[in-house]
Amino acid sequence: MRSLFRPQDSAPAHAPGGHEAKRFRSIQGTIALTLFSLVFIVILVIELVSYNLTAETVRANSEAYTLQLVNEVSAGVDSYIRYMKNISSVILYEKDVQRYFGSAPGTPGSSPRVAATITDLLSSVKRARHDISLVALFGPDGRVIADRPNLVWNPYIHFKALEWYKAALRAAGDPVVSSSHVQDLIANEYRWVISLSRAITSPETGKTIAVLLVDLNYRVIRDLCATINMGSRGYVFVIGRNGDIIYHPQQQLIYSNLKKEHINEVLTAPGPSFLAGSGADRRIYTIHVSKETGWRIVGVTYMSTLVSDKEFIQFYYLLLGVACIGVIIVLSILISFRISKPIKTLIRSMDQVERGNFDIKVNIPSYDEIGSLGRKFNIMVAKIRELMIQNVREQELKRKFELQALQAQINPHFLYNTLDSIIWMAESRRHEEVVMMVSSLAKLFRLTISRGDEIVPIETEIEHITHYLIIQKMRYRDRLDFEIDVPVELFPYQTIKLLLQPLVENSIYHGIKNRRGRGVVRIFARKEEERILLQVIDNGVGMDRARVARLLDRTCPDAKSGGVGVRNVDERIKLHFGESFGLAFESGRHVGTTVSVWLPAILAAVPQ
Amino acid sequence: MSPSPGGRGRFSSLVNVAWRALLVCVVAAGAIAAYKELSVPTVGANTRIAVIFKSTDPSIAFWQIAEAGVNAAAKEFDVKVSVVGPKEEKDITGQIALVKRVIRERPNAIVLAADDYNALVPVARRIRQAGIKLVTLDSGLPPGLSSSFIATDNVAAGRKAGELEAQILSPGSKVAILSYVRGTLTAIDREKGVRDLLGADAAIQIVGTWYCEDLLKEASTITRTLLTSDQGITGIIALNEVATEGAAEAIADLKDAGKVELVGFDSSPIETTYLEAGVIKGIVLQKPFNMGYLAVKTAVELLRGKRVPPRIDTGSAVVTRQNMDERENQKLLFPLIGGQ
Repeated sequence: MRSLFRPQDSAPAHAPGGHEAKRFRSIQGTIALTLFSLVFIVILVIELVSYNLTAETVRANSEAYTLQLVNEVSAGVDSYIRYMKNISSVILYEKDVQRYFGSAPGTPGSSPRVAATITDLLSSVKRARHDISLVALFGPDGRVIADRPNLVWNPYIHFKALEWYKAALRAAGDPVVSSSHVQDLIANEYRWVISLSRAITSPETGKTIAVLLVDLNYRVIRDLCATINMGSRGYVFVIGRNGDIIYHPQQQLIYSNLKKEHINEVLTAPGPSFLAGSGADRRIYTIHVSKETGWRIVGVTYMSTLVSDKEFIQFYYLLLGVACIGVIIVLSILISFRISKPIKTLIRSMDQVERGNFDIKVNIPSYDEIGSLGRKFNIMVAKIRELMIQNVREQELKRKFELQALQAQINPHFLYNTLDSIIWMAESRRHEEVVMMVSSLAKLFRLTISRGDEIVPIETEIEHITHYLIIQKMRYRDRLDFEIDVPVELFPYQTIKLLLQPLVENSIYHGIKNRRGRGVVRIFARKEEERILLQVIDNGVGMDRARVARLLDRTCPDAKSGGVGVRNVDERIKLHFGESFGLAFESGRHVGTTVSVWLPAILAAVPQ
Repeated sequence: MSPSPGGRGRFSSLVNVAWRALLVCVVAAGAIAAYKELSVPTVGANTRIAVIFKSTDPSIAFWQIAEAGVNAAAKEFDVKVSVVGPKEEKDITGQIALVKRVIRERPNAIVLAADDYNALVPVARRIRQAGIKLVTLDSGLPPGLSSSFIATDNVAAGRKAGELEAQILSPGSKVAILSYVRGTLTAIDREKGVRDLLGADAAIQIVGTWYCEDLLKEASTITRTLLTSDQGITGIIALNEVATEGAAEAIADLKDAGKVELVGFDSSPIETTYLEAGVIKGIVLQKPFNMGYLAVKTAVELLRGKRVPPRIDTGSAVVTRQNMDERENQKLLFPLIGGQ
C-alpha cells in the first residue's frame, strides 16, 4: 500500500540528510526565486532605463541651459559691438568730420573751431556711455582729435604703427573690431579695451581722410563673462576668429602652459557643443558664434557638477532599487507561501494516507486548481477507503468460504459411509475393490487437502471428481452411474478448487438417492467464446422451482439440504471471477437437474 | 484540515527569512549611503582654505593678481577660500595675529606668504600642531614647516636678467647690480642668478652691488652717481620695481638712454612707460596669478592626500620693447583687467 502513494521520483529527495535539499527544491523556493528573479530583472531594466533617461534629461537640460546662457553673453557682446558700430556710423557721416579731415591743415575747413566742434561731438558720444573709454579720430597726416581736449598722448607710441589703425585701412571703410588689448595711446594710461576702428573716406576723392577709433572698456566684456553662472566649476571664455583669447578666466595659466584650453576644437567644432576631458574633468563646451564679431563665446560646464546631480540621482535610484528589492523579497516569499501552502497541506495529507490513515479530509478553501485538486483528493481517499473496506470484507468471505468448502469435503458422514463400505468389502474379501476404493479415497483426500491456490486447472478438478464418483459408485453400486465428458483442450483452464464435488453430492443425495432405479451423473464441459461451461447433469427426482430458488438464495439458511455447499460454490466463483459468472440450475420434478457452471476462459498457470 | 504540525512554525520561519532579507537590504542601503558619505572626496565645497598674504593693499598689484589666481583656483577646485593680510607689507606682528586668528577658525589648509623668514616660525608650528596643512607662497619659512613652497625661482629670474643684459651688451662691458634690501632672500637669490650667468661669461664684468633700501630716491641717486662716475658702466641690473624705476628715472634725466642698458624687475605703469621709451631694455616679470593659483592647487592636492613637490617654481618672463605688445606679455604687464 505504501508504495502506491509514494511518488517514485521523490526517493532521491529522501536520501539521508536530504531534508535541506528537499526544502531547497521546494515549490515555494522555486516560485519565490522565479518571482524574485523576474521582478528583479524588471526593476533593474526599469531603473536602468529611467536612470539613463533622467541622466540624459539632466544633461540635455543643462546643455540647453548652457546654450541659453552663452547666447545671452553673445547677445550682450553683440549689443556692445553694435553700439560701437552705431557710434562709428554717426561720426562717419558727420559733415564737420568730413570737412576737417577733408581739407588740408591751415585751410578754413580745418580751423580749431571745427576741431572743437568735433571734440564736442566725440565727447558727447563718449559721455553717453560710461563703458566707452576713448573716441578719437586719426588723420593720416598726423592730425588727431579725441573726445577730450588736452589729452596727453603717449610720446613713445605712434598710432600709425598700431594694429587697429592698419586693420582699418585694410578694411577700407568697414568697421574692424579688435581683440582685447591694452590701449597705450594715452600717456600713463594703460587700459584693456576692445577697439573698433573704421576708415573714413572722402566722398569726393575716395581717399581715406581719417581713421575713427572707438574703445570699449574691456571690463564690460569680462563682467559679462565672469558673472554668468555656469555651475560651481564652469566658466565662459571668448576667442577671436583666429583663436586668440579675448577673455578667459585662466588666461595667465594658459599663457604659462599651466592650463590647456581646447581652442582648436572650439574653432573646428562642427556642432554647437562637444565633450572634452575625462573623469572629473569631463566637460561640455557650448559654442555660440557672435554675429557682430565672429567671436566664439564658449560656455564650459563640468560634467562633475552635473554628475553631482547625477550621483544624487544614481544614489536615489539605487536606494529605490534596494527598497524595491526588499519589498519584492518579502512579497515573493509571501506569495510563494500562499501558493505552496495548500500544496504542502495536500502533501501532508498524502503523507497521512501513505501511513494508512484514510480518515482524513483536506480543507483547501480556494476555488482554483489546487482547491479542486484537494476536493478530488478527498473523493479519491473516500473511494480508496471504500475499496479497502470492501477488499477486507471479501478477503474475510473468501477465507470463510474456503473453510466451509473444506469442511464440506471432509464430511464425516461421507467418510464413515466410505469406511463402512471398505470394511464391508474387506469382510467380503473383495480385495481388489477395497484397494481401488482406498486408493481413490486417498487420492481424493490428497487433492482436497493439498495446499496451494484456490485456483486449479480443470484437469485437477476433473481428477478429483472422478475419484469421488468412483467411491460413490462403489458405495451405491447399481444405483449410480457416472459419465465425464470433458475435452482435453479445456484441461488447462482455470477453475476453483472443490467446485464440482458439492454439485455432484447434491445430485446424488437429493436427486439420485431418492429415485427408483439407476441414476446417472454426467459431467460436461465446453468452451463458449470467452467462457467455459461446466455442467453437472443428473436424472434424479429433480427440484421444484421454489427449491431451486432457495438453493442460491444467500439469505436463506439451509444447512440441512446441503444448499450451503452449492451456495458456497456460487459465491466463491463470483468472488474470484466476478458477478457475471457462477451457477445456474435447470430442474423439474422427475426430469432431473442440470447445474451449469460458468467460468471465464483463463489459462491456469503451468503447474510446477 | 487537521492542524498541521509545524505549519505555524514554518510560516514564522518564513517571516523570519523575509525580515532578514529586508534587513540585509536596509543594511546594504545603509552601506551604500555610508560609502557615499565616506567616498565624498575630502576636498569639496566644504573645504576651507585660508590665504594669508603679506598685504591686502589694493594698490599693490602683485597681491591683487595673486588673489585673482587664488580665486581662479578656488572656483576650479570648488573650495572656499578667504584671503586676508595686514594692510602694510612690513607689519609682521599684524600678520602673526592674523595667523593666530585664522588657526582658531580651523580651516583645512593655510596658504601663507610669510612676512618674515624667522618671526613667523612659532605660529607656523602652531598651524602644523592644529593639524592644518600649510603651504607657503612667495616668501618662505625655514625648512620642515610648510609642505610646499610656491614662489618664483628668483635665481632663475636673476639668470634671465643677466642673460638679457649679456645679449644687449658688447663684450668688455661693465655692469652694476642695483639691489634693494641687504639680506633679503629674494634679493640674494636674484643677485646670485645674475652673478651665476654673467660670472660664467668673462666678457662682462660685474663692478659691484648697490642697495637702494627699497627707496626710489636712493635708487635714482645711486644710479646717477654710478653713471656720472668714470667707471665706464654700460649696464645696470635693477633687482626690483623700486630699484628699476629709480634707475630708469636717473637714466632718463641724464638722457643716457642709448648709453646705458637697464634691465629691471617687476611691472608698473611707470616701468612700462620707460620700456616704451627705450629707457628700460627689458624687465623680468614674476607671475603672481600663477603663484596664487598654484598655491591653492597645491593645498587642494595636499588635502586629497597626494604628494606635492616641496618647491614649485611659478616661473618668470622677460618682456622687452619688442615683445611687449604680445598679448601674453600684456597680460603680465597689465594684469589688472580693465586698468584701474
